[in-house]
Amino acid sequence: MLFRISAFWARIELGAAALLAVTVTLLILLNVLTRNIGSALYWVDELAIYAMAWMTFLGASAALHHRNSVAITLLPDAVSPGARFVMRKIVDIVVLAFALCMLWFCWRWFMPLGLARSGFDVMAFQGSTFNFIYAEPTLTLGLPKYLFWSVMWLFALGATLHSLAHLSGAPTAPKDAT
Amino acid sequence: MSPVVFLAALFLSVPVAIVLAVTAIWYVWESGNTVLYDSFAQKMFAGLENYGLLAIPLFMLTGELMNEGGMTKRLINMARVFVGGFRGGLAYINLLANMFMAAIIGSATAQIAVMSRAIVPAMESEGYDKGVAAATTAAGGLLAPVIPPSMMFVIFGVLAQVPIGEMFLAGIIPGILLTLSFALVITLIGWQQQFPKGAWMAMPEALLALRDALPALLIPLAIIGGILFGIATPTESAAIASLIAFLVGWLVYGELKPQHLGEMFKRTAVNASMIVFMISAASVFGWVIIYEEIPQKLAALITSVTSDPFMFLLIVNAALLLVGMVIDGIAAIILITPILLPIATGSYDISPYQFGVVVCLNLVLGLLTPPVGIGLYIASSMSDTPPGAILKALWPFLVAVALVLILLSYFPSLSTALI
Repeated sequence: MLFRISAFWARIELGAAALLAVTVTLLILLNVLTRNIGSALYWVDELAIYAMAWMTFLGASAALHHRNSVAITLLPDAVSPGARFVMRKIVDIVVLAFALCMLWFCWRWFMPLGLARSGFDVMAFQGSTFNFIYAEPTLTLGLPKYLFWSVMWLFALGATLHSLAHLSGAPTAPKDAT
Repeated sequence: MSPVVFLAALFLSVPVAIVLAVTAIWYVWESGNTVLYDSFAQKMFAGLENYGLLAIPLFMLTGELMNEGGMTKRLINMARVFVGGFRGGLAYINLLANMFMAAIIGSATAQIAVMSRAIVPAMESEGYDKGVAAATTAAGGLLAPVIPPSMMFVIFGVLAQVPIGEMFLAGIIPGILLTLSFALVITLIGWQQQFPKGAWMAMPEALLALRDALPALLIPLAIIGGILFGIATPTESAAIASLIAFLVGWLVYGELKPQHLGEMFKRTAVNASMIVFMISAASVFGWVIIYEEIPQKLAALITSVTSDPFMFLLIVNAALLLVGMVIDGIAAIILITPILLPIATGSYDISPYQFGVVVCLNLVLGLLTPPVGIGLYIASSMSDTPPGAILKALWPFLVAVALVLILLSYFPSLSTALI
């Protein structure tokens, strides 16, 4: 069950990442075009960078599901299948630990409880926590930056889901890491 | 403890990016500086806020489009026009086509995969030893990250904070040098093994081959021309190149199906996020390197051995050849640049461009050296040749690369002349 959810979520992540790759391409082409007709759009570069960041974190989370991240497989390739199984489980545990840490870091960074405690009043929140995350602007887009930073939550949650699914011993076709 | 965590995780086959992040988490915990955790996720995000990195998905997309668009065989055909008639014609065709491809594709593994499928069977059916055919192709793939565009150079440029366009220019002369050295190796092996004789194309046929390949050549022209004349940034030229690759493959060659675009963008997203994510993780790993003053400590050690920049580069080369046996290409460059570059530029006054070219070429070589040699295994599986047979034919090429590395280390102008 968990594995099916993980697979489903990875599919969504990859689909979104592909769309973001399209976005990056079109934005840069738009940049070339508008600059050459003498009316450059100043916000395109920043948006393209955020699109790439989103593509990266969504793609990286999906890669955990597919086990196709870049890894040094020298040792697991050399040992017996039994030892390899144990190693894979250890890797899953390390990835899960990392994912949980990321969740914790996002929690410390976004402080959702603190925000709720101040009645979602950003000024009061900042006054009590000295955390200015919700006041940080983007450079050119006119949007608050936490909207773009929120991909770190998606990444942390996705990574937690995928590593939990692997750890719970689901039937995967292990792929070579390349 | 951090180095133990790092090595254990790395060799247990934890994804490299996560090894970097986990080591950083461990290090911060151990050093008690846990306030850094508050900005951990932000730092990972900030590591990607770099305009130059946008070139990575775009160059990957260009490669995908080129692959599907039927350009490979036309470029090979064009190479046939120039070198097909020599003894060992197909081996030279292989090399020259690799050089053309390198001006379009920025990744050695991608290029080795494409070319092994495209040309090894042809060489085999003309009577070449399969190992030699696959080895020539694998070696030719090394040109991809040296001749612009180059994924390695984009990443090195981002890490070293040097303009990526100029980094590309730095690769041109070394790329030509490498091609010439490979040509020499092919000539020598050809004499020794009596390579099959090639045949020159008849004039009308040759003209046709040139005409067919011309649209594909627009891509390197757009990339190198755009950067050389300052018309476009490397990122923009990558986008233009992908547009040209799409239009040529779709409208001129009629081989690229627009309905496959979805799959191509998906592969682009998968492959690009793999690499860009490592850079994100490397930015938190940077804390470990900076707070532990690893470059300073290493610099003190090395400067006590030699004060000569050339000797320093030789030591670096020797060390990286060993590193390259275990960690390949881009993962290795992400790891070692922040450590070694400050020593090279700070203690030895080496140009970052020269250093980048030497280090990138050296670590690309790691793709072909076992036990971890992804390029070697790709060539092997794509051409259906055992890795051992390829390695046996590969060593003269590896020696050639080593000699080129020494030349590049000794003469900085080979890298910096065009900048």
